Amino acid sequence: MTIVWESLAKIGFMFALIMGMVVVLIWMERKGAAYIQDRTGPNRAAILGIRLAGLVHPVADVFKLLFKEDITPDGRHRALYNLAPWLVMTIALSTYAVVPFGDFLTVAGRQVPLVVADLDVGLLFILAIASLGTYGVVMAGWAANNKFTFLGGVRATAQMISYEINMGLALMGLILVFASLRITDITAGQADLLWGWLPKWGVVVQPLGFILFLVSVFAETNRNPFDLPEGESEIVAGYHLEYSSMKFALFFMAEYAHMVIGAALIATLYFGGYQIPWLPRPALEAHAGTLLTVKLVAVALVSLLIALLFMRRVQREKGKFGDARDREPVLGMGLWLVVAVAAAGALLLKPWAIGPAGASVFASLAQVGAFLVKLVFFAWLFIWVRWTLPRFRYDQLMRLGWKVMLPLGLANLVVTALVVALV
Amino acid sequence: MEGILFWFCGALLFLGGLMMVVQRSAVVSAVWLVFAFVCAAGIFAVLEAPFVAILQILVYAGAIMVLFLFVIMMLQGPVLEGEGKRIPLGLWPLIALPPAAVVVLVVGYLRQPQKTGFAGPVPEGFGSVSHVAGLLLGKYLLAFELISIVLLVAIIGALAIGLGERKLPWR
Repeated sequence: MTIVWESLAKIGFMFALIMGMVVVLIWMERKGAAYIQDRTGPNRAAILGIRLAGLVHPVADVFKLLFKEDITPDGRHRALYNLAPWLVMTIALSTYAVVPFGDFLTVAGRQVPLVVADLDVGLLFILAIASLGTYGVVMAGWAANNKFTFLGGVRATAQMISYEINMGLALMGLILVFASLRITDITAGQADLLWGWLPKWGVVVQPLGFILFLVSVFAETNRNPFDLPEGESEIVAGYHLEYSSMKFALFFMAEYAHMVIGAALIATLYFGGYQIPWLPRPALEAHAGTLLTVKLVAVALVSLLIALLFMRRVQREKGKFGDARDREPVLGMGLWLVVAVAAAGALLLKPWAIGPAGASVFASLAQVGAFLVKLVFFAWLFIWVRWTLPRFRYDQLMRLGWKVMLPLGLANLVVTALVVALV
Repeated sequence: MEGILFWFCGALLFLGGLMMVVQRSAVVSAVWLVFAFVCAAGIFAVLEAPFVAILQILVYAGAIMVLFLFVIMMLQGPVLEGEGKRIPLGLWPLIALPPAAVVVLVVGYLRQPQKTGFAGPVPEGFGSVSHVAGLLLGKYLLAFELISIVLLVAIIGALAIGLGERKLPWR
């Protein structure tokens, strides 16, 4: 029975991680867009005057979408129209089953691997599930019985077929280098050092493969510059044009869930996953006491600094708004002071003398933290690219996929195979 | 447990196949066929062949049926009203034939005194990637390569028919 509870706990963690990341990403997208376009971005929604720099907006969005009227077109195909958003979301969520978010965690003397399903064919599983993702988009486009949604669906099909091949080719080089289809094997293989100083990350051993994979992931997630299926200046909103309320929200969340999985895949396959460079697991456990102490001191100092910054804001903005929003800097200062005091207080527990069990847990959590940092960075990369590059024209998209990336991918595969066979 | 999963996937596969045949809209038919493919993959997974199961989804459900759906939608377009006709009465026996065959097979299996269905545990590593690869690129290499040549010839043939002989790129 323990294994069932363990699996349920891991699934719950992954689900919470994705849904939390979706909310944070929506905020990051709007604030990032504002930053790149030299605006302030959303900052109006507030709970009792607390605005959290716009983080309240996603909460407001959720309630707005939940209570909106669900408008449906008359000529729709009922079953497929209702099935499509559900399918898109389910498929976006199920890919995470094979992505490891840590090495293992020792709970009550048992080593629990931090991955939901450590499949023998993990990489193929990802490709298979990703390829099923097309159906939701196509069904949505067709079932709404609208020319624009239909065009969006057709575009999505053609684009996904074209770029799935490139994704597979890019991954084949990686499979050859690490000699396994199991994702945990690939991640574990990236802990090694090349020539004693360079981490053997996927991006180091497969630079061209990484670029091809990155472009394919952008195309698979339908993000700019590959968002032709919903190109709003050409076909209104593409495949989800006729959806409203929570059904639209499902498409919207699925896009961000796809971004999270894309970022997780880039981090796991090409940037060492949960591995901290130059700090493999044995070293982490051996120096756990020192590292934990340094970390606590750093947290205490940084939160103290932030609290001081808030204090300056309290002095400057006294009575600026004349309503509940004036309380926000005071509260921020208080919260960060509490964090600083808590971190400093934790030093009294002598973290430098941590036992082996604690060291093991610390190492596991540090690796999960490393994975999350990489995940957030690559999620930010998606946003960064979206607000920097313009959309492709359709013929450019096809030319890039078939005439540039496919030959490059094949060449990369042949060269990798030769090198692997000879070395 | 495995038996339950096997019959569960089998029943769903049967349902998918049946619904695919009786649907009037070609697009809905194609969606039911995808459903049937996924159920077939489930049966492979129950039968200790995870690699074949994943390939079933990846190749058939993920690639070939997407192309099918693409073509159907391109030809049919988003027309839903009065599409297709009712299946003529004379065709129903043909549609009923495969289900009838399944019923006969199941009844025959149940009447058999010694059931050979779920044989004992499979050897270690059965159905893994290396096992399948060893068979495909070792024992059955010639057949495997010949099939790929057949596919290549079929593609070139389709190109020749589709473009017309005059327009072929090598003319």
